[in-house]
Amino acid sequence: MPALSSSFIARRILAAAALVFVVSSAALALADLAPGDYVTATIGGDPAVAAAERQRLHLDRPFAERYRHWIGRALTMDLGESFQYRRPVLGLVRERAGNTAMLALAALILATLLGIPAGIVSGSGGGIAARVIRITSLVLLAMPPLVTSFVLLTIAARTRWLPIAGMGGITHLVVPALSLALPLAAMLERLQSEAISDALERTHILAAAARGIPRRRLVWHHAWRVSLGPLLGVYGVVIGSLFSGSFVVEVIASWPGLASLMRDALMTRDAPLVAGCSAAGAVFLAAGVLVADLAHAALDPRVGAPGA
Amino acid sequence: MVRRIAAVLVLSAAIAACGGRSEDRPPANASVPVRGGSLVASLRSEPATFNRLVNGGNSSATDAITELTQATLVRVNRVTGTIEPALAERWSVSPDGRTFTLSLRKGVTFSDGVPLSADDVLFSFAVVYDPKVASVLAASLEVRNKPLRVTAPDSETVVITLPAPFAPGLALLDNLPILPKHQLEAAYAAGKFQDAWNVSTPPGSMAGLGPFVLTGYEPGQRLTFTRNPHYWRRDASGIQLPYLDSISMEIVASQDAELLRMQAGSIDLMTQADLRPQDYASLKRLAQGDGAVHLTELGPAVDANMLWFNLTRAAASRPGKSFVQRAEFRQAISYAVDRDAIVSSVYLGAATPIDGPVTPGNRTWYSDRAPKYPYDVARATALLAAIGLVDRNGDGMLEDASGARVRFTILTQANHIRGRVVTVLQEQLRQVGIAVDIAALDPRSMFQRFAAGDYDAMYYGFQASSLDPANNLDFWLSSGSAHVWNAGQTQPATPWERQIDDLMQQQMAAASLTERQRLFADVQRVFGENLPAICFVAPNVAIATSARVGGAQPALLDPKVLWASDQLFLIR
Repeated sequence: MPALSSSFIARRILAAAALVFVVSSAALALADLAPGDYVTATIGGDPAVAAAERQRLHLDRPFAERYRHWIGRALTMDLGESFQYRRPVLGLVRERAGNTAMLALAALILATLLGIPAGIVSGSGGGIAARVIRITSLVLLAMPPLVTSFVLLTIAARTRWLPIAGMGGITHLVVPALSLALPLAAMLERLQSEAISDALERTHILAAAARGIPRRRLVWHHAWRVSLGPLLGVYGVVIGSLFSGSFVVEVIASWPGLASLMRDALMTRDAPLVAGCSAAGAVFLAAGVLVADLAHAALDPRVGAPGA
Repeated sequence: MVRRIAAVLVLSAAIAACGGRSEDRPPANASVPVRGGSLVASLRSEPATFNRLVNGGNSSATDAITELTQATLVRVNRVTGTIEPALAERWSVSPDGRTFTLSLRKGVTFSDGVPLSADDVLFSFAVVYDPKVASVLAASLEVRNKPLRVTAPDSETVVITLPAPFAPGLALLDNLPILPKHQLEAAYAAGKFQDAWNVSTPPGSMAGLGPFVLTGYEPGQRLTFTRNPHYWRRDASGIQLPYLDSISMEIVASQDAELLRMQAGSIDLMTQADLRPQDYASLKRLAQGDGAVHLTELGPAVDANMLWFNLTRAAASRPGKSFVQRAEFRQAISYAVDRDAIVSSVYLGAATPIDGPVTPGNRTWYSDRAPKYPYDVARATALLAAIGLVDRNGDGMLEDASGARVRFTILTQANHIRGRVVTVLQEQLRQVGIAVDIAALDPRSMFQRFAAGDYDAMYYGFQASSLDPANNLDFWLSSGSAHVWNAGQTQPATPWERQIDDLMQQQMAAASLTERQRLFADVQRVFGENLPAICFVAPNVAIATSARVGGAQPALLDPKVLWASDQLFLIR
């Protein structure tokens, strides 16, 4: 594999660090700006208890002071303690990120195995198969993830073929992974279809066809390589967003991942946890983009070369 | 959709005609209990702590865990409302009714084998009353804002003295789980009680006196409870309880997913057991079809949402909103609302129209003498006109004497049935010329606005922890923190609030139940005449359990099924 230039990698890492800093700072600030705080959990209640809790959590101090304190700890990889769980944020995030990663990887593999070949078929030829694939993709793209999740859950519940919630063996992964994978596969199919039909119009592909190279080889070997470039750019963002977690799928399928942890943190105004989950999401996004760049460089040596 | 609503209405009527409350007929799935087996329950949120006493401990998750793993000196039977012996086997009362001498049950040990003694009781009370702990339970164990005096003349006797006459008496003690001093004293002495028994605590290491021990916790997934081999309670045949070997509590955040799992048979009961109106019909079909689910109808809930207005002094001076301070305005709103329409359109028939915060579900304390507000648009319009709110420009909407439109905002909870009720209210009040704006917010934003007094009206509700009004003083007394329309008054702001304060103090100290009921009926009458808060409907409570669950005693008070978890068994 052609090596990326060290300056390219360094720039990417610096950009990732800046992204993580900006995202987590913004999350902390927004959690603070939102009405209510962690202590405003009910109506009534003992004001003395509320005051004592605010003091314990330093919520009675100005935001600037709390932010300085948080930054100082964050630089040593200490993201503070969750208000509600009273556990280090890093530990909580690490636990849940692992679960989300498992789900994301499964969804990514499924989506790739379904979407890419379908896109090649629909983009390289006509016929009934191509039409069916196109319509299926449009339906899946139009369906909100919530609806997809519930349809799959209902099928699983009625047939009892698969568990419908929670984590366990590999069978527990099927419903939530499919919920994530199907809309993604539809998107990849559409992109691949466009890309392959563009690639088939390229001069060198037409020349190869004129030289008598079989259609199948032309599509699956020559044109496909050319079509991957644009697709890989999307993969970076897709990987990042998948590994940050899908709130809808995790809540509906009771998958204990990062997104459901983020949701709980937001609902309870658990500011350190909100910042920690946001930082994790930013890390995944940056990592996803870097992985995509590496793959792109493997295909196109111009990417990542010195001066790129 | 219309056929579905009609079907539910017919079903509801049929059920109402032939149904009864759980205490009027044999318990659900009556059969001979057999020891063994595991149940699966669902839980809608993660526990923030396993420690019931500290902040975060009043969540429904921690409450459920405490019900399974801890025990109290006495237990209030959630179905009958009577006080039952628990860790205290018997007690005597002084002639003035203020001093109780409790004898602890002999031979009781914690789940780790350490014997229970009066020291554990003293320790538990010391912790709950310690201002440094700032326990969420402290207020529920006080009488007239004063703590109970607790002493122990010997290791098996506890003497509890109330600071003032208090009719509910020992029922207060059902609020306090008795903690293991031998495990928690060190943390308490070091000032770290707030961190004791947090969610990082290894399961199995927390000793308790309840029927189960927490033996597994997979964050975000499940909690596993295993039978406590040292549990002290036995059934009438002498069989040691609990019957079940274990209970697995699955964390299912989505109520839709919870329903699907109940329908699929992968959960046996819901910890937060109330069914949504839209779920009732599908579970009813299951119950009547293959009988996979058992539904227990309990009638109207004992707690209801209410619309209250900001009656604070600061709100009274807000321009263009002075009309909300008039009782006639609030009465007019109550007349203008068609409660049957809310029952049918929002609750799909599974609710009961009500006129006050004490619902017919609270059979001991509900008074039929409280003022009623039947749907009467003409009467509402007349009341509004009597206080100068009329349509002055022919646009169909009311204006006050200065020509300003009669308009106010209702704050309520977004993505909740409350929001749907408020939408109906908005339309119905528009019919009488009142313009209503809706601000649907997430709970914390809503609470923040409430705390800041930045609202005109609010539609929200509170979960009842007790049927006895003496245990809900923070709502009824003008000085109470939950006296929502004007909380924490140093002196009653109105004559009618002073009257309610006096009546509540009398009923709290009255010796006989009949006298207390008479006094509290007067409270409801005064409340109904002045309507600081308007109630429209109380949802009908139905509890669903899978058909294999036996021994369930569903109740209107939380925890609706798990309060008697030691008597649950699997039907073979």
